[in-house]
Amino acid sequence: MSKELRFDGKVAIVTGAGGGLGRSHALLLASRGAQVVVNDLGGSFTGEGKSSSAADKVVEEIKAAGGTAVANYDSVENGDAIVKTAVDAFGKVDILINNAGILRDVSFQKMSQADWDLIYKVHVFGSYKCTAAAWGLMRDQGYGRIVMTASAAGIYGNFGQANYSMAKLGIHGFAQTLALEGKKKNVLVNTIAPIAGSRMTETVLPQNLIDALKPEFVSPLVARLCHESSEETGGLFEVGGGFMGKLRWERSSGKTFRLGRPITPEGVDGAWKDITSFEKTEHPGSVTESMGPIMANLEAGPSKGGNQFIDVDAALGYKFPEQQSSYDERDLAIYALGVGAATDPGDDKDLQLVYEMHGKGMKALPTYGVIPAINVILKLGKEGHRAPGLEFGLDRVLHGEQYTELKRPLPRAAKLTHRGRVKDIFDKGKNALVVQEIVSYDEAGNELVRNEITTLVRGAGGWGGDRGPSADVNVPPDRAPDKVIEEQVPVHQALLYRLSGDWNPLHADPGMAKAFGFDKPILHGLCSFGYAGRHVLAGFAPEGNPDFMKSIRVRFAKTVLPGDTLVTEMWKESDQKIVFQTKVKERNEVVISNAAVEFWKEIPKPAAKPKAAAAGAAGAGAANAMPISTDIFNAMNGFVKANADVAEKVKTVFQFKLSGPDSVWTIDLGTPPGSVTPGAGTAPKCTLELSDADFMAMATGQADPMKLFSTGKLKISGDVMASQKLGFLKKITPDLVLAEMKKRVGSGGGAATAGGGGTEGGGVAPAGDMVPTTWDVFIAIRDHVERNPELVGKIGASYLFKVTNPDSAWVIDLKTGKGAVTEGHGAADCTLEISEADFIDMTTGKSDPMKLFTTGKLKISGNVMASQKLSFLQKMDPEQAKQAAIKARAAGGGPGKAGAAAAAGPTAKAPAFFAALSKRLGEKPELAKELGAIVLFKIVDPGSEWTVEGAAVSPADFGTAKTTLTLKDEDLAGLSAGDVHGLYTHGKLRVDGDVSVAHRLGLLKGLL
Amino acid sequence: MTRKVNVIGVGMVPFAKPGESEEYNVMASKAGRAALEDAKVPFGEVQQAYAGYVFGDSTCGQRAVYEIGLTGIPVFNVNNNCSTGSSALMLAAQAVAGGLAECVLAVGFEQMEKGALSAKWTDRTNPLDKHANLMSEVQGFNQAPPAAQMFGGAGREYRWKHGTKRETFAKISAKARVHASRNPYALFKNVLSVEEVMASPEVFDPLTRYQCCPPTCGAAAAVLCSDDFAKKHGISNPVYIAGQAMTTDYPSSFEEKSMIKMVGYDMAKNAAQKVYEQTGIGPQDVQVVELHDCFTANELLTYEALGLCKEGEAEKFIWDGDNTYGGKFVTNPSGGLLSKGHPLGATGLAQCTELVWHLRGTAGERQVAGAKVALQHNLGLGGACVVTMYRRD
Repeated sequence: MSKELRFDGKVAIVTGAGGGLGRSHALLLASRGAQVVVNDLGGSFTGEGKSSSAADKVVEEIKAAGGTAVANYDSVENGDAIVKTAVDAFGKVDILINNAGILRDVSFQKMSQADWDLIYKVHVFGSYKCTAAAWGLMRDQGYGRIVMTASAAGIYGNFGQANYSMAKLGIHGFAQTLALEGKKKNVLVNTIAPIAGSRMTETVLPQNLIDALKPEFVSPLVARLCHESSEETGGLFEVGGGFMGKLRWERSSGKTFRLGRPITPEGVDGAWKDITSFEKTEHPGSVTESMGPIMANLEAGPSKGGNQFIDVDAALGYKFPEQQSSYDERDLAIYALGVGAATDPGDDKDLQLVYEMHGKGMKALPTYGVIPAINVILKLGKEGHRAPGLEFGLDRVLHGEQYTELKRPLPRAAKLTHRGRVKDIFDKGKNALVVQEIVSYDEAGNELVRNEITTLVRGAGGWGGDRGPSADVNVPPDRAPDKVIEEQVPVHQALLYRLSGDWNPLHADPGMAKAFGFDKPILHGLCSFGYAGRHVLAGFAPEGNPDFMKSIRVRFAKTVLPGDTLVTEMWKESDQKIVFQTKVKERNEVVISNAAVEFWKEIPKPAAKPKAAAAGAAGAGAANAMPISTDIFNAMNGFVKANADVAEKVKTVFQFKLSGPDSVWTIDLGTPPGSVTPGAGTAPKCTLELSDADFMAMATGQADPMKLFSTGKLKISGDVMASQKLGFLKKITPDLVLAEMKKRVGSGGGAATAGGGGTEGGGVAPAGDMVPTTWDVFIAIRDHVERNPELVGKIGASYLFKVTNPDSAWVIDLKTGKGAVTEGHGAADCTLEISEADFIDMTTGKSDPMKLFTTGKLKISGNVMASQKLSFLQKMDPEQAKQAAIKARAAGGGPGKAGAAAAAGPTAKAPAFFAALSKRLGEKPELAKELGAIVLFKIVDPGSEWTVEGAAVSPADFGTAKTTLTLKDEDLAGLSAGDVHGLYTHGKLRVDGDVSVAHRLGLLKGLL
Repeated sequence: MTRKVNVIGVGMVPFAKPGESEEYNVMASKAGRAALEDAKVPFGEVQQAYAGYVFGDSTCGQRAVYEIGLTGIPVFNVNNNCSTGSSALMLAAQAVAGGLAECVLAVGFEQMEKGALSAKWTDRTNPLDKHANLMSEVQGFNQAPPAAQMFGGAGREYRWKHGTKRETFAKISAKARVHASRNPYALFKNVLSVEEVMASPEVFDPLTRYQCCPPTCGAAAAVLCSDDFAKKHGISNPVYIAGQAMTTDYPSSFEEKSMIKMVGYDMAKNAAQKVYEQTGIGPQDVQVVELHDCFTANELLTYEALGLCKEGEAEKFIWDGDNTYGGKFVTNPSGGLLSKGHPLGATGLAQCTELVWHLRGTAGERQVAGAKVALQHNLGLGGACVVTMYRRD
């Protein structure tokens, strides 16, 4: 039971207190010590007449019960007089309950202006007058509690109460602003929408309901709101019949129209579902929060345009869901045959492309690099997945250009992860070009192939948008080709080529081809692309070795038919670049134009075997590199692969969703042998969500998974039970993880797979392999401030950053001397609170400060305007920032929490805890009596024993204690915070002997 | 109108460790035959059979019953977690009570694997996920066997409320071992002291290993019949089911954020209350009880749920010896799940068997003197709780 809420010494005015709700409020407050002004005009509930008897009766009632009260008979329109009565009788006003009200119920059709005005006068104007009279007094004394009385009729509307509804919701709006203006002076304003049986409601409610709606069921909430301990303000409450609840605004996530394009009624109609759907909602609680979407729209800048086919804003930059695929020797051979290789089985080089047991090893045709990407696009299309904002039909689409770039020769088999996005959209006047980029990564997470697939969308241009690069690239020089290769395409070639995955019937079905306006099925554009690639390899690759091809770019100009003779004309621009075009001999048409192949000077080796020179550099890199989550998952993958019995036993699929930076990993132990792969693979049975930092801490043994779980930092969904089976993770030793890290740093692969901490677009965090921490960023800022002393003059303010999770504090002083950046708390003009993850994102340009602010992730207090001057943070040179942080780390510095402190070992809390207890018991020996037992504290990690006997606290176990409390040193913080029950329930506090002792540990509160 | 249901035959096989038993069909048919012989009724008279088991593919019940005879009667397979046995018993009793059959066989069996219970079907919603999620919300989730965490957590909560000593839980195991030492059908017949129970490895505070029932293989059966049938076969003064009720989870299991409620306290309390109302007989008139002591913590909670003692007084009840010979009741004279073993599907019918023997006065050296009214409590998480009262006039 909480303490009785008393009102001794407080003066309350209750208007309309002659009966009903007001009387009930007055009686309750008076019974709890308040001195009450009972105001009632004594009129009828329709606002007619006047008498003093109603108020007097209630005053008598209060007095009879031993309370203090005086009567007032003024109309609330005369609020000054009512407040004066309070001041005259009791010297002040602490509580004002604007309760008086009347009804003039009549359908709007029949409502007179008098009905309207009178309701306004009594409810709105009356509440205003009383409040205005009390407001100054309350502000001056720094204390006030005001309760307004609204109604469900105002919130929801009610037949016959148009005037009343207007007044009631008006009062709530009035209270909302008063709450803001009064808060600083401790004047709290709330509104209730009560439902109670009274003279007023008798006319609209049936008797049996009125009986159940006693005013006495409402007044306790009013009393709670008026109590001095209350901090509630600006609230709206529904109360009555035993129910009490708070209301707030809910808003649909709505629809945002980008600015710069016409907003039309049709557009609104089309978005009606988005505008009105409450599937996703928010609860704005202030004008600032209400403005959030508008600010975000302003922030997003003007629209990039579009038309009914293409919405550039929606489409541009869209990232497709990550896809996986694999290929092997069979796929390579089918492709090679599909693009006309090995028509002569005696040609040893061609045989290498199709024969997996070739003595010199099988080789992949480099143009195969486009196939996995195109198949991903086809698959997404088939599944109906398209980028938002691309609303054109396939009939408008032509494969316009293709660019394929290899990072190293394609291996004979690979498992690939593809990430695609809409890279560019160009308005070519009549037509539009859409460039989709697909980057395919190998199993080690290194980029293997990058494809740019340019689609020409007929008739979809003309919105006046970006026209894109206009210069014609790879134009053949004005001389005879250096080499020409001619080859006839067999008539069945399209049937062979389609086996590589493009099943479009246009290339096989004569009827379908006719329907599209062709005489017969046409050859795939990418098939002629493969032919042309082979020609350039045969003409210029050193020793005809396909591994030399680095990239190929073509424009598809005309259609090729099976049976046509292709003529590829090639010009050598340099040893590394060949410009070419391909014609159809029979029609003398250019079918592939503006084309070029680039060759490597030296064929790159697979990443796993770094070259000697690179290894040296990698070593240096590794010294300041840190393992990232990718390394741990890769180590898991290695472990799972090497230990098939793990999957055998576990038989479950887990998914880890890490945030800040975000990544998703699937641990598939469903069927042996298991695998650990980036991205969302097989549907997981159990999903674990946590921050990247917490995952790292957990995986390196610095954080206890149970603790993460119980504090809500680790969320487990799906089959919670299955998470038990993750015990095998303990077997992932640091050696395995470090080996993965070395592989990654050595290969220069960066944190590509999991999107680690690189720098994007100019920011202050160190780039490269280091995972930046708050510490690094502030060291970089310090460096920047030291280099730019003029900042002090320009900015002239000081900032305190309170970074959380993990916690740290830094002061940036750009006000005094040459300026300084120091760790720790200090006075500042402007205080910024933000989590480490958000802070890193903000300073690396990944998150926008304005957005963080509007979403409440960045809290700014003090001189808010000064925060605008922090934009210099975005102007720092990333390279210099990196050097500064590396230098500081090399000099023995490091992030306080993870580095230095961890190395020194955490300090035991027990000595300080028990010293504080001893002091407390010395000062207040009566606390020992409260405990009433000899208690032994057994502290572990690090271990110590403490006996508390009477007021004596001794660092030893005398064997005298009947009750033993066992807990970890770090959990003493929990005891100090008073969370005894939580520790006990979670098994962190063990009690041997009398458990009831644990109920009496209040004396330990606040010892740390 | 329901008819009186008589238990005219019971039988079971000695319980064994996983890997050391006969196969389920052999155990079940042996128990079934033993019950039929006990009833002196040929299998041909049995009109329906209800077979309870948890682990096994469909129609294991038929496979077991076929070894007794192929008479073409209906055989129903019943699966209700740890209360499977008494669920089969209840269905059989309903068939007789409702006049649908004159003579029915209920058989329960289980051939278990070694180790703690775990989910078999991992590609779909776990039926206990609501329970597990509640637990993880209340007390977190760790590596201990899930059932031990649930019942152990309930014990932990009880200790916090009532200041119960750790030894109090251990005393229940020590008592169970003493009882089991006189039961030839029990798995663990060696006696353990409270100190030995306390000293065994901790599974989940406050539970130690010897406070958790072991995975067990076994089978038990009962033959039920109407008065007419008993009369026709010359069976006089049989044991009969005086009252029986099954409950499943109430909102309190999930809404009160209480481990005690989550593990079925209100299911047990309400089932017992229904039985007391049906029979007009309260707990004070009961002499012998077989209750679901899967963990010591649950036996302690069940004392209160069944009304054997007042809420909060289980510790005194235990230290006063009111749960054993010489006290107010004898709970789990068979050794209970803790010592006799817990083959999930068989447990409910083994409890029935034990109580019938006591009411007949044929329980040998563990006979509870003057047993007239017996109470059975069988509980499964997920959940189902069956409480049955037996009498012999």
